Amino acid sequence: MRPTEFAYHRAETIEHALALLAEHGEDGRPISGGQSLVPMMNLRLARPAHLVDVNHLDMARIEEDADTIRIGALVRHETYLTHPLIARHLPAMLEAVHWIGHPTIRRNGSIGGSLCHADPTAELAAMAVLHDARIVLASTGGRREVAAVDFLKGAYVTDVQPGELLVEVIFPKPTGPHVGTFDEVGERLGDFAIGSFGVRLEHDGTRVRRLATVCGGARMVPIRMTELEAGAAGQPLSALDPVAFGQKVTAMVSPSGDFRASAEYRRNLIGELASRTLQRARDQAMGMK
Amino acid sequence: MKPENPRHLGARIQRLEDPRLLSGRARYIDDIRPNNCLHLKFVRSQVAHAKLLEVDTSMVEDMFPGTIVFTGKDTGALSMKAHQDYPEMQYAEQPLLATDRVRFVGEPIAAVLAEDAYQAEDAAEMVFPDFDFLPVIATMEQAQDPALPPLFDGWKSNVWVERQMAGGDLAAARAGAAHVIRRTYRNQRQTGVPMEGRGVIAEYDQSMRVLTVWSSTQMPHLVRTYIAEELGLPESRIRVIAPDVGGGFGVKGQVFGEEVLLAWCAMKTGRPVKWIEDRRENLLASIHARDHLHTLEAYVSAEGRLLGLWADITVDVGAYSTYPFTAAGDPGMAAKVMPGPYDFQAYEATFRGLASNKCPLGTYRGVARPSAVFSQERLMDDIAREIGMDPIEFRLKNIIREFPYRNVLGFTYDPGSYEESLLRMRDLLQDDIAAAKASRTDPKTRIGVGVACFIEQTAHGTPDFTRRRVPIETGYVAARIEMMPDGEVLIDLGLQSHGQGMETTMAQVAADALGVTPDRVFVRHGDTSAPYSVGTWGSRGGPLGGGAVHVAATEIGTKLKLIAANLLQASPEHVELADNRAFLRDRPETGVDIGYVARSALRNIDRLPEGMSPGLAAEASVDGPKDGTYSNAVHAAVVEIDVPTGKMKIRRFVVVEDCGTIINPLVVDGQVRGGVVQGIGSALCEHFVYDEEGQPLTTSFADYLMPQAPEMPMIEVHHIETPTPLTPLGAKGLGEGGAIGPPAALANAVTNALDFEVRETPLTASAIWHMAQDAKGV
Repeated sequence: MRPTEFAYHRAETIEHALALLAEHGEDGRPISGGQSLVPMMNLRLARPAHLVDVNHLDMARIEEDADTIRIGALVRHETYLTHPLIARHLPAMLEAVHWIGHPTIRRNGSIGGSLCHADPTAELAAMAVLHDARIVLASTGGRREVAAVDFLKGAYVTDVQPGELLVEVIFPKPTGPHVGTFDEVGERLGDFAIGSFGVRLEHDGTRVRRLATVCGGARMVPIRMTELEAGAAGQPLSALDPVAFGQKVTAMVSPSGDFRASAEYRRNLIGELASRTLQRARDQAMGMK
Repeated sequence: MKPENPRHLGARIQRLEDPRLLSGRARYIDDIRPNNCLHLKFVRSQVAHAKLLEVDTSMVEDMFPGTIVFTGKDTGALSMKAHQDYPEMQYAEQPLLATDRVRFVGEPIAAVLAEDAYQAEDAAEMVFPDFDFLPVIATMEQAQDPALPPLFDGWKSNVWVERQMAGGDLAAARAGAAHVIRRTYRNQRQTGVPMEGRGVIAEYDQSMRVLTVWSSTQMPHLVRTYIAEELGLPESRIRVIAPDVGGGFGVKGQVFGEEVLLAWCAMKTGRPVKWIEDRRENLLASIHARDHLHTLEAYVSAEGRLLGLWADITVDVGAYSTYPFTAAGDPGMAAKVMPGPYDFQAYEATFRGLASNKCPLGTYRGVARPSAVFSQERLMDDIAREIGMDPIEFRLKNIIREFPYRNVLGFTYDPGSYEESLLRMRDLLQDDIAAAKASRTDPKTRIGVGVACFIEQTAHGTPDFTRRRVPIETGYVAARIEMMPDGEVLIDLGLQSHGQGMETTMAQVAADALGVTPDRVFVRHGDTSAPYSVGTWGSRGGPLGGGAVHVAATEIGTKLKLIAANLLQASPEHVELADNRAFLRDRPETGVDIGYVARSALRNIDRLPEGMSPGLAAEASVDGPKDGTYSNAVHAAVVEIDVPTGKMKIRRFVVVEDCGTIINPLVVDGQVRGGVVQGIGSALCEHFVYDEEGQPLTTSFADYLMPQAPEMPMIEVHHIETPTPLTPLGAKGLGEGGAIGPPAALANAVTNALDFEVRETPLTASAIWHMAQDAKGV
């Protein structure tokens, strides 16, 4: 369990990093917290010949403008737990972050690293999908933005091309009153989830303006339940029926089973979590807490 | 028996080794760095079962000049031989490096030796074995399928051993039974997972012809004997040292082929050779444990008395027989201990060990008893449910009360507190039992209470191994003690302390006999320079190691009293040794420093009584009693189940234990709690999984799930002390007990919560959810 030989490059600026990644192409990999990449290298599942250390780049800020929250690729998971912009605009994310790994992982892991690793049930990938986030990828050729759902292509597969660096994730701000919830079940605290569900509910105090959902563990990437989202829009909050919602989710998802959890269990678990997250979101929106 | 009025025995003192261990100053195997050392990386089989046609090493020579590769062609017939001399047992050896066949994923095929560990790992990737695939035995059903060929040439079947044990008249028990209750229970395969993996360094001094082997082992003397016999070396010229060992749990209580191979490599190359096991190797190829399937049938009278028990025990032992406890060890142990703490006199058991293309089974904390107790105690609950009795009442009706008790197989149980510990536990659980009852109608949250009552045969003596005809052969522990001229004490202990706190407990024992404080006793262990002993395993350190220290120290203490009496002009029976002084019992102010007495024995020997020889050293060995000594305990789990998700929380875990004389309650508490955590891992999450091709699916900590702190409840430990007359201090073994009860207690708690009989582990969220679905009324 020792990595293959690699060259270490410390990038001093984003331009420097992009030049190094351009130079090394397929053989180059950026590294920040190393919480996923280093174990993969030790297991020799990843064999980058060149590691470009991006920890010193100016990409560790959370900023807002009128319509968006922009999270720099180097922002560490634990940052969200105390950041006022997250609590105000992305409450589901605040709940989701509590489920990420252990304190050491939350201290070192970065959003750029987590999204590029693309574990099927990673919490931040789910949050990017839930919030219609856009992923900003830079290269020596310029920048491009990719919607989170298009960025996550499969288990451990993303849209990042050789020479590209994830520099920022743009989360649209919700408009008007909103609530967000997230829940998951894993075998142990800190494990990747067996199933997870997140809800973002924009409302006007009585009616649903917009419902967004994300479901982890049903497929190799987090998915949206778009049909259910569309059906909820415009409904009175009091008409949201969490139990029926959960049953519909159970009927709609078709996860696979493995030695750890059967497909039938996963299906029902995801439905149950959908029901619980929707119920909490609805109760919060109705001021019931 | 327990010594009278001890000063240090039984004291709750903090561990003397902890400052070293907790401040990063321990010295583990990887901290030992000989000069000019070669680093060894194993090439291990990636296929479960195949003929090994050729091992192509030409790329290594091309790409990594100077790197040395050894294969089975070089090591030839050198092998691990672990045969239990049962007439039914089929014999097989494991070559140090595979010669013509591989039988599990992880089996060593080649050893690559390079200047550093990175290069060794790079070069190992360039060794290409060529295989001719063979059918894989991946399940118990396949191992018993006569259509599938045996794993070893000349074998009749894939059954290592199948044998019977019996006592009493089972037909009469069956005939007299009002209830016949038959159940099948299953425990999953797991492994032992010490925090530090295995590791070996070997160095051969050509001028002195001395081989030194450092190994992260629990049994240095056995490693020495095996290497000497296998490599044809004089045992006097081999020294095996186990430095600080970062956890053993029985995993390191075998002699491994890797240890013999490293010694061979050091002699072959003339250079020190080092191998540090990585986590993947440790999970794949150290030893595995559990993997039991038991079918039990109980015969119960109308009044709820257990009349007899029939048992059929199957264990998937894997590809090879491990030394020194063999492929018959786990299945035989399960059959032997199945009668447990209950009073009945008819029993028949068949036990079998199956061969499969999986990592060999070895000893892991509890050794078969967690599985046996799981079945035994699940059955007790299932019987109680079926005949409509309270599970604790049913146990109390059948518990053994009179000692010594001769059990159905002829084993004699020394005195314990079986009934008292059950009664104590019942009192402790009153509120939880009420809460569980109140939750019965709750569709969402269920509370359950489960107990497991068990005994543990510990400190097995030589007769037990003779009876089993097992290569361990003997069970004694020895210690040599020397007092220095300054009154400081050195113990060379034939054990290895890897978490047991022996540097403290053995010092406490010696301190009482020598009249010194424990901080003046240096306990040296894990080194074959101590007198020959079998090592630390089988819960023998306290009763036998402590016993040997007590006997040897008492001999020195007696001499100190004679010398002091001469110095103080008094008779020896008036002299007392305590607080680093020798003084007159009636006039404590009249005395001398213990160092003065010691100096009189070693330096100023003109102060010795007439005719007395100089010297303050003694050696003693203590063997286990004929049938061992039986510790007992009751474990209880209180669980809360979130029915819709299957998530279970352990609200409470309670242990009432009796290990006889307690040397240090802090150490006992630590041992019990550590064991319980491992037992909870067995019950809930630890699962080593192979697919149908014999490919392992759980080869890192991302997939092999260890119990973690957030899931752990507070573990309450209550003590009852029933000293045994069979060991010098009255102590019984307690190192393993903590790991034995949790699977049964937790499964009984889930059974209670869901009103549904749990038949197997692990109790994952998915498994619990399915049980809740199948249960009536949830």
